[in-house]
Amino acid sequence: MADKGYLPKEKIKEFVEALGKDAAVYAPCLEGDTIIFRQYTADKEISLDRPANTPPKGAIYPQCETLLSFEFKKDAATPQKMDVELKANTDFPKAVVFGGRPCDAKGFTVIDRVFVNTDTADPYYKKRRENTTIITKCCNSPYAGCFCVGVGGGPASREGSDVVMTEVDGGYYLEAVTEKGKAVMSLSMIQDGSSYEAKAKQANEKATGAVRNPFPADARISPELFDSGDFWGRVVDKCVSCGACTFLCPTCYCFNITDEQAITTGERIRSWDSCMFQHFTLETSGHNPRPAKYKRFRNRVGHKFSYYPEKYDGAIACTGCGRCIRYCPVSVDISEIVGYLKDPKADPKQWAADKKDAKN
Amino acid sequence: MSTQKLKEIIKQVLPDVETVICWQEGYDKLNVTPIFITSPEQVDQVVWNPLCAQNLASYLPSQKKKVAVAVKGCDSRTIVQYMQEGLIDRNNVVIIGIPCKGTVSKKKVQKAIGNEPVEEVTFTDGSIKVKTPSGEKTLALADVCPTKCTSCQFPTPIVYDQLTADAIKSDKPPESVYADVAELEGKTLEERKAYFASQFDKCIRCYACRNACPMCVCQDSCIAETRDPHWITQKNSLDEKVMFHMIHALHLAGRCVECGECERVCPMEIPVAKLKKKINKEMKDLFDYTPGVNPEDKPPMYTFNVDEAKIKEHKL
Amino acid sequence: MTGNENPYLPELVTVMKVIDETPNIKSFQVVFNDTEKMKNFKFEPGQVGQLSVFGVGESTFVINSPPTRMDYLQFSVMKAGEVTTALHGIYEGDVIGVRAPLGNWFPYQDMKGKNILFVGGGIGLAPLRTLILYMLDNRADYKDITIIYGSRTPPDLCYKDDLKEWEERSDVNLILTVDNEFPGWEKRTGFVPTVLKEEAPKSDNTIAITCGPPIMIKFVLQGLAELKFPEENIITTLEARMKCGIGLCGRCNLGHKYICKDGPVFSLKQLKELPSDE
Repeated sequence: MADKGYLPKEKIKEFVEALGKDAAVYAPCLEGDTIIFRQYTADKEISLDRPANTPPKGAIYPQCETLLSFEFKKDAATPQKMDVELKANTDFPKAVVFGGRPCDAKGFTVIDRVFVNTDTADPYYKKRRENTTIITKCCNSPYAGCFCVGVGGGPASREGSDVVMTEVDGGYYLEAVTEKGKAVMSLSMIQDGSSYEAKAKQANEKATGAVRNPFPADARISPELFDSGDFWGRVVDKCVSCGACTFLCPTCYCFNITDEQAITTGERIRSWDSCMFQHFTLETSGHNPRPAKYKRFRNRVGHKFSYYPEKYDGAIACTGCGRCIRYCPVSVDISEIVGYLKDPKADPKQWAADKKDAKN
Repeated sequence: MSTQKLKEIIKQVLPDVETVICWQEGYDKLNVTPIFITSPEQVDQVVWNPLCAQNLASYLPSQKKKVAVAVKGCDSRTIVQYMQEGLIDRNNVVIIGIPCKGTVSKKKVQKAIGNEPVEEVTFTDGSIKVKTPSGEKTLALADVCPTKCTSCQFPTPIVYDQLTADAIKSDKPPESVYADVAELEGKTLEERKAYFASQFDKCIRCYACRNACPMCVCQDSCIAETRDPHWITQKNSLDEKVMFHMIHALHLAGRCVECGECERVCPMEIPVAKLKKKINKEMKDLFDYTPGVNPEDKPPMYTFNVDEAKIKEHKL
Repeated sequence: MTGNENPYLPELVTVMKVIDETPNIKSFQVVFNDTEKMKNFKFEPGQVGQLSVFGVGESTFVINSPPTRMDYLQFSVMKAGEVTTALHGIYEGDVIGVRAPLGNWFPYQDMKGKNILFVGGGIGLAPLRTLILYMLDNRADYKDITIIYGSRTPPDLCYKDDLKEWEERSDVNLILTVDNEFPGWEKRTGFVPTVLKEEAPKSDNTIAITCGPPIMIKFVLQGLAELKFPEENIITTLEARMKCGIGLCGRCNLGHKYICKDGPVFSLKQLKELPSDE
């Protein structure tokens, strides 16, 4: 099997439909002005023009899924006794994530460390992940808010992808990264790609050079600033505590579990949750370890840039996709905040000097 | 230009307040972001231009001390509504009013420039010029403004303590306000249902629309997340999404000040304000009431009179 | 873990006995419906389980019976929220779900040959109970055992049968207290941290284990510091809102540690090395 190929633009539909023969293909589809990853059907319009509003995270880690279903059963002989029958499905069909960006693909590797590489792996995510092939489109140029190169990625990064495709000469130069990816390259519409390799390399280098890096090289997060409630209070005055940043994030994986019941049947569902929500850590007693939004915000930044790296050999739980910046209702810029935390010249006293009390 | 006047006023009121809430440049030239000013050195960062679409009045109920806030005409309706509902103490707010000829929708500009990175933005009367790596593009403000600006009735704030420029009068006919609702009403029920289904299907339940809404007062106790009452599940089915948006809209009946924040902030570009506007139109027809224009008014849903003073006969 | 392939799937258990501990606390003794599971179930003192009321949800409770007494597993539940209210409506014979054991446990092996000081308040005695009973079942391994336990009023004291037994034993020093004077109460009154100060137990060769309401723990930790207990010899077990119980859902973290998986048992030394939300 070849590991390089070329796909003319006009063959995209044919390619996706071929992939869909034995798998569910999730592709960025245009709906009005919105681009959303949807399971592809012939009536949908695929758009690779810009990164989708949502990352493809939901293809492997759906926003909501049934962990188990239950049914209450009664035996006529002992009517006072109620039995329960539980069922859980962890058998998932093959799938393809087509047309995500390198930052999107890398997002899955962040979740993998937590959900797969543990003694209590999440069987739903793990099985879907194993059965999914990821075909990624490299970026030609940065998009508002992007900063992938600042967090160890890049517009042509291969991390997490099985195939990467680069736009060249009215089509895409395809390169298989994994064995799974090589299997894709045998599809009939893939042409010989060797003559495009140099051009693709050039395009990728150009794109990489155009992405901003908001962080000073080798700088560490200032623990003094990180602990300062004043600093965070000031930084997140404007935050409205919604979940847009976390729900659009390719790496955010925090979830809720809730039961829903009809009369004698029901299900336990798992749904995305957001650490920016006040109730996320609210205990039944009324105690909340993170009642103020600056504490929740600090935890979100801490999780991505401090706690996660501490646990996983320095890996950062942010891929720089920029969605939390560009879709934030009030333009909170995480790259600016982390950049400040990492700036050796940053003076916490300067921030604290004329500070008011941190607000809720 | 009123930016200079705005800065002067801020410097003047700053000693009397804890914070002045205004706008500053955001992460790129096409973005502005709120700034919470507590010291005179910060005043230089203040900007005022058509990108300042965000309604800063929304921050008022959460402020604990005396603050000043910069508001456009449309934003001032939020303050009036807060006064009606007792959500703020007027004595604790200094209102810096900005007469406004229209704002810009960032999303519409981005679409018009093919989503290219923005290098420079400049404004001339009635247009915005955007520089990108592939060149410059000039867009008419009328083509890239949010829906609310196309029918603006209140270009000058209704309440204010200081104005940054001379008051201006609306040049838009009052009947234009509900033009988009009329369009919706022209559709059959089935068509409307299909329209809202296709829109709300995009919802990711991030609650940006709710949290950015100045009049959504339940916030953390919203039924979208509570188990008691347990009206909505955490499923992401269309039914649940529609239910959430219906409740959001109904809670705003006769209270929605039409600031358009819900729509501006939606990351999925859902026209979430439409439903609320339709209900506002019903309230207008039924009670002859417009939210957020007179501090002495009581919202119709706050009162119950057997013989409603202004109620009209039901149309059915 | 239970060795289940699916860590979210609870085991079905039958409630054999429901005990009214206090006006708002009930204990539930459960056995696995699968007798093999019951026979093979292993856990350590301090580990927790997620109890399921299907249709309502799950909540985390410590297994407060000791691993040395495996006729049943006991959980104690204070009525507070949705799941605990549903559990209070459970009768003997009802079937519920359990995911257990989860989390870490008290380092009881390292406590051998030492004096043990338990300081508990209210339902905070639950996690201490499993360790106390374990130690009493292996009494020779430990030196002096002192238990300071208090609640708001006498009816709020948990495990009254155990307290009676411990009081009668000569190899346990039990000190009971309630917050205020109460008709018929002839023992001590005063808050637990105050009683701790008055008792002033020696810190030499002693491990202190504490659990109770957050405000009590705060002052007990201060008191223990004043008594010169080294931070590594002060052990507590934490609570947080939990959902998954296996370190995935993300809400119970202290920095990079998850209370559900890396805890709930921490020494004060460990806690001080972690970022706090304070």
